Amino acid sequence: MSAMQFPFDRSQYMKSPPLRMIAYAVIAMLLSVVHIVFLRFISVSSVTPDLLLILTVWIAIVEGQFTGMVAGFLCGLLFDIVSAQVPGTNALVKTLAGFIAGYFYRESDAMALIGSARFLLITALAATVDSFTYNFFYVKPMQTSFWMFFVKYGIATTLYTTVAAVFPMLVVNRRKDP
Amino acid sequence: MQRFIEFVVRFKNYITLCTLVVLSFALMSAGDLSQLGGFRAVIVGSIGWMQSIFAWVPNPVALKSENVALRELNLQLSVEAARGRQAMVENVTLRKMLELRKVVDKKLLAADVIGKTTTQLRNFATINKGKSDGVKDGMTVITDAGLVGIVTGVSDHYAVIQLLLNRDTKIAAKVQRTRVDGILAWEGETTLLLKNVPTSYDVQAGDVIITSNYSTRFPENIVIGRVARVEDERNSLFRRILVEPAVNFPTLEQVFIVDYTPELERLALERMVDDKQRARGANP
Repeated sequence: MSAMQFPFDRSQYMKSPPLRMIAYAVIAMLLSVVHIVFLRFISVSSVTPDLLLILTVWIAIVEGQFTGMVAGFLCGLLFDIVSAQVPGTNALVKTLAGFIAGYFYRESDAMALIGSARFLLITALAATVDSFTYNFFYVKPMQTSFWMFFVKYGIATTLYTTVAAVFPMLVVNRRKDP
Repeated sequence: MQRFIEFVVRFKNYITLCTLVVLSFALMSAGDLSQLGGFRAVIVGSIGWMQSIFAWVPNPVALKSENVALRELNLQLSVEAARGRQAMVENVTLRKMLELRKVVDKKLLAADVIGKTTTQLRNFATINKGKSDGVKDGMTVITDAGLVGIVTGVSDHYAVIQLLLNRDTKIAAKVQRTRVDGILAWEGETTLLLKNVPTSYDVQAGDVIITSNYSTRFPENIVIGRVARVEDERNSLFRRILVEPAVNFPTLEQVFIVDYTPELERLALERMVDDKQRARGANP
């Protein structure tokens, strides 16, 4: 199938920042719905992978730290609204995740980084910060030990999110190959 | 101004981070989503609609944990149902006993049967009330159904009852309908035998047998059982009357001890007359 048959030029779309932002927004909305509606099917002891965090890390690596933070904030806020949580909780943690992931921004070889195992390490680091901060605010009003809760749910979520990040890594990796 | 712009450009990431963090805290402190009003209702409604569409898809992990939880709940409910049934049975029994208290004019003492023994056709039951509760040797034991037996041994906290199904049982009894008297005994079967009733006397199957006022050991008019069968034997002046005990002895759990002891004056008089008759017989 030739490129002319697509409703828009894919290469042009990849080069156009506004179109990319729109695509990120649409993907973020789809992922938040997927998270709420479908992720229960693959939850293990109430632990699910954080798909919006993976998107935030992707954006931070591709677009840079500034865009990553803003994207993280908006993704988090979107998830707060969709999941009926206290608005600002996920916005804060995903802003921090975007900030951390943004340190690994490489303008020239972003896709190479995503297609490698380093993407998993960055996702794991961002997910750890995300889980740590989120559980800190989540556990604070409860009569529960923060460290016990973090070890039980935070690390499990981090691991599950890192495992889920293997799929975008493999997709990008396959595209890189001739 | 130029320096300020340079500062902002240089540290734009940190400034953005601080701004977004402050904004997040501001949102958190602003409270829950109810402030978003109708927007929240739309979001919740849409998500709920989407979830309901896929609600039919089974979740194996959730199903497994739900199964475990349901099994535990099932076990818990079974135990509770058994307890409920037990309580219901006890309730019925205790209500009947409560009614009995109203019917019997003598003082009753409730006790639980804690053991049963059988030795050479002598059936006994042990109850959890003794001397300290006011139980005395010779007291009558009944249930709401009828006569159980008599207290034959007492310690401080326990007492032994000689049940009707005992070869030593000899009770002055009468047929409630026709007032025919006889002696009730047990000969080792599930039924009792009413003796000394002449063949000409009116006794029919189904008649109720009660304790007689001639009895020196039991209070009168306590139900003993019901006539199961009446047999007229050849070459005998007496009928063979089989009586089904009113009390179900294998399931005996709760009893009442009747505060009744024989009248000593009456016993003494009867013994004196008996002795006189014997003395006359010896010296005509």
